[in-house]
Amino acid sequence: MSKVHDLIIIGAGPAGLACAIYTTREYIDTVVFEKGVIGGLAAVTDVIDNYPGFPDGVGGLQLSDALQKQAERFGAKIEFGEVQKITKKDKVITLHTTDGDYKTKTVLVAIGSEYKKLDVPGEKEYYARGVHYCATCDGAFYKDKEIAVVGGGNSAIQESIFLTRYAKKIELLVRSTIKASSVLQKELQKYIDEGKIVVHLNTSVKEIKGENGLVNNIVINEDSKEEVMKVDGIFIFVGLIPNTGFLKDYVELDNIGLIKTDNNLMTNVPGIFAAGDVRSGATLQIASASGDGATAALRIREFLEHKKLATY
Amino acid sequence: MPKSVTIFTTNTCGYCSMVKKYLSNKGVSYKEVNLDDEPQRQQEALALSGVLTVPVTVVEKTDDSREVIVGYNLAKLAPAIA
Repeated sequence: MSKVHDLIIIGAGPAGLACAIYTTREYIDTVVFEKGVIGGLAAVTDVIDNYPGFPDGVGGLQLSDALQKQAERFGAKIEFGEVQKITKKDKVITLHTTDGDYKTKTVLVAIGSEYKKLDVPGEKEYYARGVHYCATCDGAFYKDKEIAVVGGGNSAIQESIFLTRYAKKIELLVRSTIKASSVLQKELQKYIDEGKIVVHLNTSVKEIKGENGLVNNIVINEDSKEEVMKVDGIFIFVGLIPNTGFLKDYVELDNIGLIKTDNNLMTNVPGIFAAGDVRSGATLQIASASGDGATAALRIREFLEHKKLATY
Repeated sequence: MPKSVTIFTTNTCGYCSMVKKYLSNKGVSYKEVNLDDEPQRQQEALALSGVLTVPVTVVEKTDDSREVIVGYNLAKLAPAIA
């Protein structure tokens, strides 16, 4: 029989890595699975200004690197692959991954979320050819160009501000009103005053169009009036959706697909826990995801200590 | 092992760091083209990949064939450098 680990964490974002730091420090055999980038969405955020302990803010990549080093320092093993299915027989949980099957006594699901799509014509067709969801990855292609950013929350405002280092003008398209924090709104105002960002409230995108394979305009509806806006690219930050498709028939999810847990962060399946953005009721903050990871680690330790493991 | 590997990156791209770390862990040396430092090479990256994104990894193989991998895509990257 292949090795049964104490804990497998799915997702190497702040929640998963915080948990790994705690569990490996206590000699709990821990493997972390990541299918994308270590640090998750935090890693592709330019600057994180509200993570405690960094008075001048911290780069998303820098924070992710530090979390990874700290977890590995205590012995966490990070594996790259995608978990496609979970099954449980007796007390052993099996993760069926792109890298083969892994067995474990407990699982922490910390897979975070991904940016929501607009679901308009042209969005799929022009993906990465004018339609983008990552400013830190793709912003450099828009030096001295005119772009649109869609969204009115923290991500949209922060990424718009980041993109001003490249784009000569940004049309910020907001479906209703700006809901970002007052600190970000104050910073945004500086760029509005300079004419680098123009805000369009009550505005939605109807279609994304292009020429020669690249975006060159979008159709918008502003205050119920339809018009064509000429832009070279469009960056979309209209909220997050959970990555829980592979779990839907196994653990209980809420109506938007987030994982339901009890006060111990355990799901309806004993031994399977959830933390961070993917947990129903999460506040979608990096600091609270880290806190979730630490809480989950303590509850997982208790679960492992109180469990009768003799049958393994 | 490939003959050569070139990665098109930018300063702030998290996925670029992941590709570089992955190659380093596998002992594969690579040449980096940072598009923040060399914006004039963006068209080259676009011509190779067909998309406006990084990382773009170009693997030149020993049989002189070439594979272009967009993003941090281990399913393609791992066999390409094997």
